[in-house]
Amino acid sequence: MTDNSCTVISSGSRGNKLLFRYPFQRVAEYPSSLTAKQRNPYALNTAGDGLEDQDGDSRFSDIILSTILATKSDMCGKKFELKIDNVRFVGHPTLLQHPPVIQTNADPSVISCMHNLSRRIAIALQHEERRCQYLTREAKLMLAAQDEITTMTEMDGSPQSPFRQILPKCKLARDLKEAYDSLCTTGVVRLHINNWLEVSFCLPHKIHRIGSNYIPPEALERSLKAIRPYHALLLLESEKALLSQLPLDCSPAMVRLIKTSSAMKNLQQLAQDADLALLQIFQIAAHLVYWGKAIIIYPLCENNVYMLSPHANISLYSPLAEHFTQHFPGYDLPSMLAKFSLPVSLAEFRNPLEAPAQEAYLIQMVVWMLQHHLLIQLHTYVCLLVPPSEEEPGLRDEDLPLAARVGGRSLSTPSALSFGSPTSSDDMTLTSPSMDNSSAELLPGGDSPLNKRMTETLLASLSEHERQVILNIPAAQNPEDLRMFARLLHYFRGHHHLEEIMYNENMRRSQLKTLLDKFRSVLVVTNHEDPIISIFQSPME
Amino acid sequence: MTIRFRMNSRIECIFFSEFHPTLGPKITYQVPEEYISRELFDTVQVYIITKPELQNKLITVTAMGKKLIGCPVCIEHKKYSRNALLFNLGLVCDAQTNTCALEPIVKKLSGYLTTLELESGFISKEESKHKLLPIMSTLLEELNATGACTLPIDESNTIHLKLIQLRKDPPIVQEYDVPVFTQCKDHFIKSQWDLTTQQILPYIDGFRHIQKISAEADVELNLVRIAVQNLLYYGVVTLVSIFQYSNVYCTTPKVQSLIDDKSIQEECLNYVTKQGHKRASLRDVFQLYCGLSPGTTVRDLCSRYSLQLQNVDERRLIQFGLMKSLIRRLQKYPVKVIRDERSRPPRLYTGCHSYDEICCKTGITYKELDERLENDSNIVICWK
Repeated sequence: MTDNSCTVISSGSRGNKLLFRYPFQRVAEYPSSLTAKQRNPYALNTAGDGLEDQDGDSRFSDIILSTILATKSDMCGKKFELKIDNVRFVGHPTLLQHPPVIQTNADPSVISCMHNLSRRIAIALQHEERRCQYLTREAKLMLAAQDEITTMTEMDGSPQSPFRQILPKCKLARDLKEAYDSLCTTGVVRLHINNWLEVSFCLPHKIHRIGSNYIPPEALERSLKAIRPYHALLLLESEKALLSQLPLDCSPAMVRLIKTSSAMKNLQQLAQDADLALLQIFQIAAHLVYWGKAIIIYPLCENNVYMLSPHANISLYSPLAEHFTQHFPGYDLPSMLAKFSLPVSLAEFRNPLEAPAQEAYLIQMVVWMLQHHLLIQLHTYVCLLVPPSEEEPGLRDEDLPLAARVGGRSLSTPSALSFGSPTSSDDMTLTSPSMDNSSAELLPGGDSPLNKRMTETLLASLSEHERQVILNIPAAQNPEDLRMFARLLHYFRGHHHLEEIMYNENMRRSQLKTLLDKFRSVLVVTNHEDPIISIFQSPME
Repeated sequence: MTIRFRMNSRIECIFFSEFHPTLGPKITYQVPEEYISRELFDTVQVYIITKPELQNKLITVTAMGKKLIGCPVCIEHKKYSRNALLFNLGLVCDAQTNTCALEPIVKKLSGYLTTLELESGFISKEESKHKLLPIMSTLLEELNATGACTLPIDESNTIHLKLIQLRKDPPIVQEYDVPVFTQCKDHFIKSQWDLTTQQILPYIDGFRHIQKISAEADVELNLVRIAVQNLLYYGVVTLVSIFQYSNVYCTTPKVQSLIDDKSIQEECLNYVTKQGHKRASLRDVFQLYCGLSPGTTVRDLCSRYSLQLQNVDERRLIQFGLMKSLIRRLQKYPVKVIRDERSRPPRLYTGCHSYDEICCKTGITYKELDERLENDSNIVICWK
């Protein structure tokens, strides 16, 4: 994203007028141009006077800007986009005025974010105009200031940018300048139009950066829609720092959530502790993630296995290394990171000879490393693959494995909640979570005909050959084991990790692992990161 | 190897607009007819037939669900009524389309028409102006169909147009990177490429790294890097890392696509099966990929899974896995964490340079580097 600027144009019965622009035209700012020939303030400004100016809108004079950007009434209320050579104008014309934002060579998602910003400002201005003619008043101030400058220039001949003079007099101008400045630096804009209406906006492309890569907003949204109740929210700043950033009229639910959240608590527990509906937790969490204040992880526990992220900055001289030593005196980051060269579980750090305080310190370090995108968590995924039959090898190749045959089945916990991200429409759409229980409730009691029938049904999705092979496994002779295996069959597609199975089916890890071991001749397991949340640790290529 | 053409930006309409001496700005011709409504033209005409400051600039305006791309031209001469001829030949697309690739076409067309007018009054004379309509029809048809159009206008002028798809900038090619063809090498038409590329072609086998190619093909290192970067830009090759039996790999979430996606499955099994052997089974290949994990070398894999490897070429297995991002390589990075004040700061052992890079640059082997560093307590090794 390169150059940017804001302008305010009015189009009315007196013709089109450029009320304000920021940054001011560079020609006017260089003292050398003052010594050049006396400028006729009514002349068209061609970006010359010896200054090389390749990009940005400085090439366009005030007058031409006001002509091209003052649109007809039928373009109002909709997104406005105009591209002239390398400069792109994006705005939202409103029946009163329009504040376009100018950009060069941007990608479509950035453009639509910019349009969103100008639309928000337009809506706020419209509201204030209706309420107390705010805009008309500001426009008058801008025109008056411009006239003043023109007269002054005529008298003493020193060219100045009229817009600079507008700043101290006109709050709207100052707001726009602030919006521009903060957009260029932090990517976060927070304005109070007429000291009353808040307009807040963030540019995800600036906020969500890991190294030199940024997380595209669409990928972010996809991830957010797929989070589950067993995930956890990890705040990227301290509780105190976050709370101080919230506006005065923010929702108390947000405050409660921030105060109750912890890296070790999953979202469901968080809902209980904060006394909020799970749906609300999802919403607020998504909001915090979108604004770059939190990420989604799997809650910390001793069985978690972590490894160095492929994108981790492990340089000896990185600012992160210095930061780490300040936070944890006596430890250096590369040595800590080296410990995660091979996947290691938190349990392995436990040393019974050490004080428990030491362990807590280590956990803090792990949390710090997660917050700074240095670690990824590995999960185990299971896939059913039966050894091919000897007799008909040709047939085997035609067979699609179970994963491809059994399509998407709904899971027994709320997932795939669709909520509008803060940039899309201002109303959030919520769908109720799918609560249907897909894994059949099987009655205990071994060999009852009902259980047998259910097991058969579950195994029905397998091919004849697959069924045969499974039934020939020694463990399958035990009806309990076979029943459990059949019940978990639909998880063995390589897309559900052990923790998810444990959560959905309310199983202990040892139970699950024993079962997997018994049926290992038809299962293939592998470890890798969870693709749903890996976006926060390793951005897209 | 022909670079396959994909039409991402469909042209809905081509129009020719001019400033009529009495009627003002109007659309003289458009194909298909009546595509641009009166209303649409009224809204955008100020960007089509423009004020002097906007002439000769590429202007794209979005309105009413459409994008209009044009380049207004103004030719001044006393012979014209009002002393100037103003016109604009533009394209119309759907508002969602990415039209960057069409911009050079519009610019070129405006240049052609300007030349034609200056040479023979092509536009101002009624007899020749009529020819614009069939020209625009042909342009629309051919650009949409093949992305290119060659059209003779008169005895001395021919229009050549081609849509060039913009691609992402390719990454920097390092000396220790290995280029591998993404498609069958036999389909490669040598004559389409420059001499340097032709010279290094025989040495691109998916196993030789850049430094080796440079040495064996006797081409300067930087030239090889640039040539490969060019091939990378067009998607002809992709980069993988050097293969060694001591390498360590691990699976990525994408490994599941081998199970989910039938086409990747087919491609994989064809690619990794040993020459002349029975086709490898999906189960064997998947088990092999899943057998790759941190701490396991390729050598370890070969001894543990010797049964599965009967019909599988392990080098091609790794190659395919890297090309399709089913697996990724874990590289070793030495970091000198403890040093006394007097010694020089580490140059290579900073955590920024992998073993691959260090060995390539200094010429020592992995084994030698391992021996040096293993016994140095001031150095930690990070794998990632």
